[in-house]
Amino acid sequence: MTAIETLNALKLTGVDKSFGSLSVIKGVELSVRKGHRHAVIGPNGAGKSTLFNLISGMFPLTAGEIELNGQRISGLAPHKINRAGLSRSFQITNIFHKMSVFENLRIGVLAKHGSRFDLLRPISRMRSINEETGRILDLVGLSVRSGHLAGDLSYSEQRALEIGMTLSTGAEVILLDEPTAGMSREETAQAVELIRKVTEGKTLLMVEHDMSVVFSLCDRVSVLVYGSILATDTPAEISKNSAVQQAYLGEDAA
Amino acid sequence: MSATSKFLIIGLALLVSIALPPFLSAGWQNALNTMLIASLFALSFNLLAGQAGLLSFGHAAYFGVGAFAALHLMLAVEDGLPVPTPLLPLAGALAGLVAGVVSGWFSTMRSGVYFALVTLAIAELFHSLTPHLQGLFGGESGISSMRMPWMGIRFATILEVYYLTLGWFVICAVLLWAYTRTPFGRLTLALRDNEQRVRFMGYDAHVSKTLIFTVSAMFSGVAGALQAVTNETANYDLFSAGVSSQVVLFTYVGGATLFFGPVFGAVAFTVFAFLMSDLTRSWLFYQGLIFVLVMLYAPHGIGGALAMQLRQWRELDWRRLVKPYATATVGGLMIAAGVVFLTETVSILFGLDYEHARTLTPDYLPDFTLMGQVWSPVAVSTWVLPAVLLIGGIALLQVARRWLDHSDDAMAASDTETSKGSV
Amino acid sequence: MEFFFISTLNGVIYGLLLFMVSAGLSLIFGMMGVLNFAHASFYMLGAYLAYALSSVFGFWGGILLAPILVGLLGMVIERGLLRKVHAHGHAHELLLTFGLAMIIAETIKLFFGDFPVNYQIPTELRFSAFTVYGTNYPFYRLFIGFVAVMMFIGLWLLLSRTRIGIVVRAAERLPAMAEALGHNIPVVFMGVFGAGAALAGLAGAVAGAFYPTNPNMAAELGVIVFVVVVVGGLGSLKGSLVASLLIGLFSSFAVGLDWSLAQLFGLFGLGEWAQSVGGLMTLELSSVSGTIPFALMLIVLLVRPAGLMGERN
Repeated sequence: MTAIETLNALKLTGVDKSFGSLSVIKGVELSVRKGHRHAVIGPNGAGKSTLFNLISGMFPLTAGEIELNGQRISGLAPHKINRAGLSRSFQITNIFHKMSVFENLRIGVLAKHGSRFDLLRPISRMRSINEETGRILDLVGLSVRSGHLAGDLSYSEQRALEIGMTLSTGAEVILLDEPTAGMSREETAQAVELIRKVTEGKTLLMVEHDMSVVFSLCDRVSVLVYGSILATDTPAEISKNSAVQQAYLGEDAA
Repeated sequence: MSATSKFLIIGLALLVSIALPPFLSAGWQNALNTMLIASLFALSFNLLAGQAGLLSFGHAAYFGVGAFAALHLMLAVEDGLPVPTPLLPLAGALAGLVAGVVSGWFSTMRSGVYFALVTLAIAELFHSLTPHLQGLFGGESGISSMRMPWMGIRFATILEVYYLTLGWFVICAVLLWAYTRTPFGRLTLALRDNEQRVRFMGYDAHVSKTLIFTVSAMFSGVAGALQAVTNETANYDLFSAGVSSQVVLFTYVGGATLFFGPVFGAVAFTVFAFLMSDLTRSWLFYQGLIFVLVMLYAPHGIGGALAMQLRQWRELDWRRLVKPYATATVGGLMIAAGVVFLTETVSILFGLDYEHARTLTPDYLPDFTLMGQVWSPVAVSTWVLPAVLLIGGIALLQVARRWLDHSDDAMAASDTETSKGSV
Repeated sequence: MEFFFISTLNGVIYGLLLFMVSAGLSLIFGMMGVLNFAHASFYMLGAYLAYALSSVFGFWGGILLAPILVGLLGMVIERGLLRKVHAHGHAHELLLTFGLAMIIAETIKLFFGDFPVNYQIPTELRFSAFTVYGTNYPFYRLFIGFVAVMMFIGLWLLLSRTRIGIVVRAAERLPAMAEALGHNIPVVFMGVFGAGAALAGLAGAVAGAFYPTNPNMAAELGVIVFVVVVVGGLGSLKGSLVASLLIGLFSSFAVGLDWSLAQLFGLFGLGEWAQSVGGLMTLELSSVSGTIPFALMLIVLLVRPAGLMGERN
């Protein structure tokens, strides 16, 4: 653990990523303040998901550095990054389809409490683990579905579970990849409230397409275009920024 | 099925397996012993294949290593090392564990087909190398030893060995079952379901899979050791692809998705092998046929299919199902009879005895005896019988299926809600 | 010199034979993702069918008809069985082919017995091609190599020069896309599976007359063919060719060499120590020639799973 206290939960410095000769992320500088809800927006193919994959350790960086609470995490394996306190969700629902909703969440709670390789105690006796899982279940509103197979849930329920699983490992920095993609207007509104509730006191970085979600939820917005950050500001300022309008909002309208 | 009835069934099975064997012939006692060893091997294999979703084609390696380790310990006991005979399988466990850590670390670096190929290569490595290693594996002839008496038990009869095997089987089965109830046991299932997500939830997938592999190899080693204690000998043939294949066969026919599925497969196959090996040369053919049919029509194994029926026991309208099920059973039996008739006929007509008989009567094909009846290969009736059995059986199955489809539709229409709630 | 020349020639020809079998296996895996455990069984079936048919249609009739029948059987298996379990995933497909391999081996035992059958080269082909260092080199060995080379050329022309080849290659790379473009991918799959089976059947029909034809030949060749496709890179034809020749040459040379690790250590003055260790150290290359291919396979799988020529993992 580092002794340096920083204001930034997450800091990206000069991050590059290329696949072969194709350069996808170019010199990204990004700081996410502790306790902020921060959105990354940008046109399709701008590299938003790639950026998330870099931060969470799915791909190695080509150049640059990523710090979590002042501690370098770039180059670490995904599970180490998670243990360092950063947890991510997936754009395409990525759950344990053949396990119960409760168990989906409990896997994360067990990881949080370091019971990863526990071979000596029956899980049913681990009361505090099961209670904590129950609390997360309540939080994401899936208590009534506790015993159902995750694969049998409706789409929006699976999205809620996805968020619950991201939270379950107890990370303080949460990355959500398009949490409202494919949802109806009502479902989106519910999801926004859910995200607001569960990220209270935590740091959130999210990829989002829906501008109304960004405006109602986020303190900061970064615009990613062609692999570079065009601007970072408050939602209100970003919507006034002419360069952003030209590069992104204008293009969207056309 | 409720927990109580499960315990009742297991308790009953245990009672029978303790009380019955003394009244059986030595042949049966031996068969039961083999059955228990095969069951334990299949259970430990299934921890890896069924629960973690890692299909190994080289589990003979850990079975074999366990057997040789036990034999070396037996040799040491002969020389005066004070280890009680009932504890010999511990050597197998230790050897399986060590081999499992090393192989597991490397093989779980890969997944899917590549994992299967690594395990296959490791087993083939053992199989091709061991006949040349005189010291550890006794070269081509292998090594032999003797069971030493302990505390007045002489371990001279197969019955005594059987009880030893039974004891170890029960201990190992309980441990393997308890494993599924631990946090790590749940993680094992999660790894099968979605390894990527497990990684992003803070687990080191590679270390986890190595650990699972190791546990599986350790119990396989116990099974191998029990075999060595039984036979008092082992050679490099234990590492052959045949041994690895058998356990795959037992597990998937029995049902890899159920905890006791592999036991079901192992018991069924060893009992059939014991009963059939005297009656037919074609036992392995039937075994392959059963395996392929199960893969095609009951992808979760026979145990899986039965469990599904049991789960729906109360919801199913049995009055409506009696007719199609009875028809399907008759149809299936007819097809089986037809296939067996044809297979045995081919086996006779193309066999050496028949070839010899033909040389005596060069002008015509002599009659042959099958199932106590005399048949002529040129008589129409000989071939009409299997044809009728096969065609009739298929027709009955079709009829039964049509009835079932109808009743399914009817049920789906009447109570969609209950069936949804049961999942 | 004699050892070198003869071993090279034998090795190359054995390698070409391996390629005839592994080409189909590799092609099928590249395209359908199915690791076909029954592929070597097609090789064995080719040999037995050619033997059975040759008694009626003569040697050439047997060699011609057997691959066709095996190819048809392959198509039936793909269409009727493999496709049925496709929904359950690749592991299930693999298990099914594993079961089929058992059935084919046992069926052959049922009809032909447990012992080798007397499948022989016809007398008109039983002459020596040339004589080197006082050894008569059998013409038939060259013939096996010739058939393999012709097959490779034919396959290469088919894949690179014809419309069918383009569709097959498209289906291999992006099956969904090829299907969207209006190509009948299920038929392509069936065709490739059948063709792969037929090639293995041809190899069996030709080689069965030279090498012993017995019910274990599939199991024996099967593992070596797995080694070949893994080392060459699953899905890569060129890789299979290179790996086939490599394994072929190795097997042919290794049986004649008595090198051991102890001798290697001897070069550094550690010979006596190595001799005293014994075990692995003193094993001669000739006696572990069966082990080296698996060690090679293991190393490739762990270090470079895409194989020598493969493009992807």
